[in-house]
Amino acid sequence: MTSDTTTQTTAERLRVAGLHAPTDAVLSVRDLNVRFNTENGVVHAVRGIDFDVMPGKTLGIVGESGSGKSVTSMAIMGLLPPTAEISGSVRLQGKELLGLSDKAMCRHRGSDLAMVFQDPLSSLTPVYTVGTQIIEALTVHNPSMSKQAKEARAVELLGLVGIPSPKDRLKAFPHEFSGGMRQRVMIAIAIANNPRVLIADEPTTALDVTIQAQVLEVLHAAQEETGAAVVMITHDLGVVAGMADDIMVMYAGRPVETGSVDDIYYSPRMPYTMGLLGAVPRVDVAEKSSLVPIDGIPPNLTQPPTGCSFAPRCPLASEACLDGEPDLRAVAPGAGHRAACIKSEALADVDVHAVFAVPAVPVSRFDSLPRHERKTVLELRDVRKHFPLMKGALLKRRIGTVKAVDGLSFDIREGECFSIVGESGCGKTTTLLEIMEFHKDQDGEVVIGGLSNKQAADARAKGAMRKELQMVFQDPTGALDPRFTVYEVLAEPMENLGMPKPAIRKRIMELMELVGLQADHVNRFPNQFSGGQRQRIGIARALAVNPRLVVLDEPVSALDVSVQAGVINLLDKLRAELGLSYLMVAHDLSVVRHISNRVAVMYLGKIVEIGDVDAVFDNPRHPYTRALLSAIPVPDPELERTRERIILQGDLPSPLEAPAGCNFATRCPVFAALPPAKQEKCLTLEPALEPAAIDQQFACFYPDGELDADMVVVHENH
Amino acid sequence: MLRYLAKRAITYVFMIFLTTSAGYLLAVSTLQPALLEQERIPRPTPEQVVNSFRLKGLDPTLNPWERYVDWLTGIVTRWDWGRSPNGAFINAEFGDRVWISTRLFLASIILTLVIGVALGVYTAARQYKASDRAITSYSYLMYIVPAPIAYFLVQLGAININESVGERVFFVTGISTPGLDGDGWAQLVDMLAHYAVPTFAITIVGWGAYQIAQRQYLLDNVNADFVRTARAKGLTRNQAISRHALRVSFIPVAQSIAFTIPAIFAGGFFAEKIFAWHGVGSWSIDSIALQDVNAATATLAYGSVIFAVGAILADFATTLVDPRVRVQ
Repeated sequence: MTSDTTTQTTAERLRVAGLHAPTDAVLSVRDLNVRFNTENGVVHAVRGIDFDVMPGKTLGIVGESGSGKSVTSMAIMGLLPPTAEISGSVRLQGKELLGLSDKAMCRHRGSDLAMVFQDPLSSLTPVYTVGTQIIEALTVHNPSMSKQAKEARAVELLGLVGIPSPKDRLKAFPHEFSGGMRQRVMIAIAIANNPRVLIADEPTTALDVTIQAQVLEVLHAAQEETGAAVVMITHDLGVVAGMADDIMVMYAGRPVETGSVDDIYYSPRMPYTMGLLGAVPRVDVAEKSSLVPIDGIPPNLTQPPTGCSFAPRCPLASEACLDGEPDLRAVAPGAGHRAACIKSEALADVDVHAVFAVPAVPVSRFDSLPRHERKTVLELRDVRKHFPLMKGALLKRRIGTVKAVDGLSFDIREGECFSIVGESGCGKTTTLLEIMEFHKDQDGEVVIGGLSNKQAADARAKGAMRKELQMVFQDPTGALDPRFTVYEVLAEPMENLGMPKPAIRKRIMELMELVGLQADHVNRFPNQFSGGQRQRIGIARALAVNPRLVVLDEPVSALDVSVQAGVINLLDKLRAELGLSYLMVAHDLSVVRHISNRVAVMYLGKIVEIGDVDAVFDNPRHPYTRALLSAIPVPDPELERTRERIILQGDLPSPLEAPAGCNFATRCPVFAALPPAKQEKCLTLEPALEPAAIDQQFACFYPDGELDADMVVVHENH
Repeated sequence: MLRYLAKRAITYVFMIFLTTSAGYLLAVSTLQPALLEQERIPRPTPEQVVNSFRLKGLDPTLNPWERYVDWLTGIVTRWDWGRSPNGAFINAEFGDRVWISTRLFLASIILTLVIGVALGVYTAARQYKASDRAITSYSYLMYIVPAPIAYFLVQLGAININESVGERVFFVTGISTPGLDGDGWAQLVDMLAHYAVPTFAITIVGWGAYQIAQRQYLLDNVNADFVRTARAKGLTRNQAISRHALRVSFIPVAQSIAFTIPAIFAGGFFAEKIFAWHGVGSWSIDSIALQDVNAATATLAYGSVIFAVGAILADFATTLVDPRVRVQ
């Protein structure tokens, strides 16, 4: 499959491929190659992929962005633009699909070969009802089906994917559905004609964790219902751990390791796979160790690699690795587990931390000090932000209040990382904005470095506050002005403070080194850096004025796993070395657990549980925290298969419909199992955060209550 | 929907009232028809001029506010828009003019829209192919070429055809042959011979803008995620584009269509002048040259009304094609 295959003719390759295809595979891909002609030359995006999927089984394709996993799925579906050059073989139930015309391909697409896409918000046509869109999928392949039959089937499908009152919802437009609901509709469309193969391309990446858990459950149900083979494409090793039977790890357009899910997770034999697994923080592990960073960036696919494509980033690379690309070879004779590494035999039972240069866990000078002896850097007292909801064009009248943040109190001490977690819409970002606003007319008190918003009114006091507190944003590309060089980006905050030029220059050199960038790159523009490097620039900018508190708004969510690990390690190191405090907002609870000391769980503008991160994550008391934690997939197949999952019903309610008593009662698994007499209390009284002996407070009347059986799912015999 | 339309209509009536009043006050304080009367031979005395104007309700001795009140009272109580300095009644003149303009533009507006949108779809589906390049280049050319020049070229072409055929097939000016006798068939042929040249000229100049807009909006949507979903369902590329992308891409076009109807009216001046169809467009320019306060204001009011209709049509069209927009 290396250089010599290119000299073979397609016919020869197909003949060989046909001989090796197992007869019972529903989808067989052999030597799939995709090339794109671009202005920069021919990009060889997919370079020789082979796999088979058996009926009813799930194959997980894992890789970072640019590894060619989505291109592979689009090539199988025949949805690549005509300019793409595709070669190899894709057989669906023995029938060759490559080379079919668009029209011939249409008989398979949506019928025996279906697909679910990543972004549910843009994947449905906005101007047609969901019913029309589901029925269209039926009409295309069953022209003789009667209108009533199609409608009945559409209702059945919507019910199957868990949409309440499906008959009425048929007439709803996509914009009337939430993201999770739209992804359910997408799944309903995909399974409408009982496909033999269902390809899911990052189906839950755009969704909240609780919704992700629901959608994965629906996919699971859909697979059981149709008996389809599923190809699950993802960058999240946790998502596939519980679902997949086999895994293919892709790097630079090629599979670098394939095998059963247990092979890959428990005995990876390719340094890249090992690095990926080590780069993911675990939500279920308290033990603190640094993450495995994979340095460097994936290769440019316009140049054919001469050696192993991972060699430039691989800590084990030797001369031999640069001599030709290694083939996928069985790690043991006769084993299904194959790796593309010349050293795979030697990697059995090797700890990833021994392979990669993992930095030591940084120790802060504050770590030895008890928390109550450290100084407070930020304190919030009963902060509220209510938005009036108005109606009417000329004469507006108030029809309600959105309580985005509703009575928030917490404090952050020196040298600690405090995180706020919750679903989108729970008020995390509004909280950050309220802190940054720092105005005396705010409802509630914000104290930053001993300076209260109630006293500090003038611009000078505010300037002093800004020096104490800096922010790092989610999207490193959007947060940097593309017309500023790195030097200008970093100099701006210091110029604002009136620092002399030579001092600025010196400080910038320090900063570049501090965040792990080359000092001579200061005259480059942001677009000359990779995503991870850009986020490092963002961090350097925040640190330029020596703040004591850094606000991190989803600092790593836009980054790939391997890059993310490097940035998290950097944040950890800076916190220890500079004695910084962090206030972090993140939706990835694994990252939160890894980096934080304390955590607050927010739901509809309120903190429902707050405390020490290990206490909250190991022994969650509030039912919402329990649900949130159980929704997070863990990159451990054994655990994923057997653990109990709480699947919350429905979406986050609109803040308008917030109930009178406990906010969470409408979705609460404990509430649902309570006898009516006890339910009354939840519906009428609002639970408050109760003070406790240990550092863990929660707002619930029945913290360890029985869970409702309907909301708990266990996959025992997967 | 009806309530919404009524609400919008009231707003627009108010706005039309404001623009028309402002227009009248501006016209009445700057236009001086009496000066033009001085150029007549024999030259009338100033008293004669004032008397003659007073009889037509154009008394130049009254101050602008008094004249405005008189003029407004006339409209509100008798729907009388006043008279021109030459004695003609605006109401009578106006009806004829509007009818002529409508006849001149109606057919070409419809043709412009249909051809423009259809070509936009056609070229978007064949992006960067020879046909797309030719049609789109033509549309950009029409953006650049001033409309009067294109009209003259079409006229020249028609005259050439007439000459080479040896008889008058097309009329390049005028609405109909004066004093034509004959049965219905002869009348129809005569009408078509007059209509052909201006309609053709306005259409081939006008469709470019719609072609470019429709092509652009459709191309924005051709690779949209929902088109990919439609193809994944089993629709061919062309089916997916025509069923899903087209309707979404038509939303902004529908809006611009509604808004360009008054724009065509405003640009109609050249066409009316060149083809000698004496409609509202040429009247508005002529009335300013003739210092005719009432006619200038009437054309302004007509422009406002047409614009308001366009705006309401735009809202209506958007709600019709886009379910996300709800009128309240």
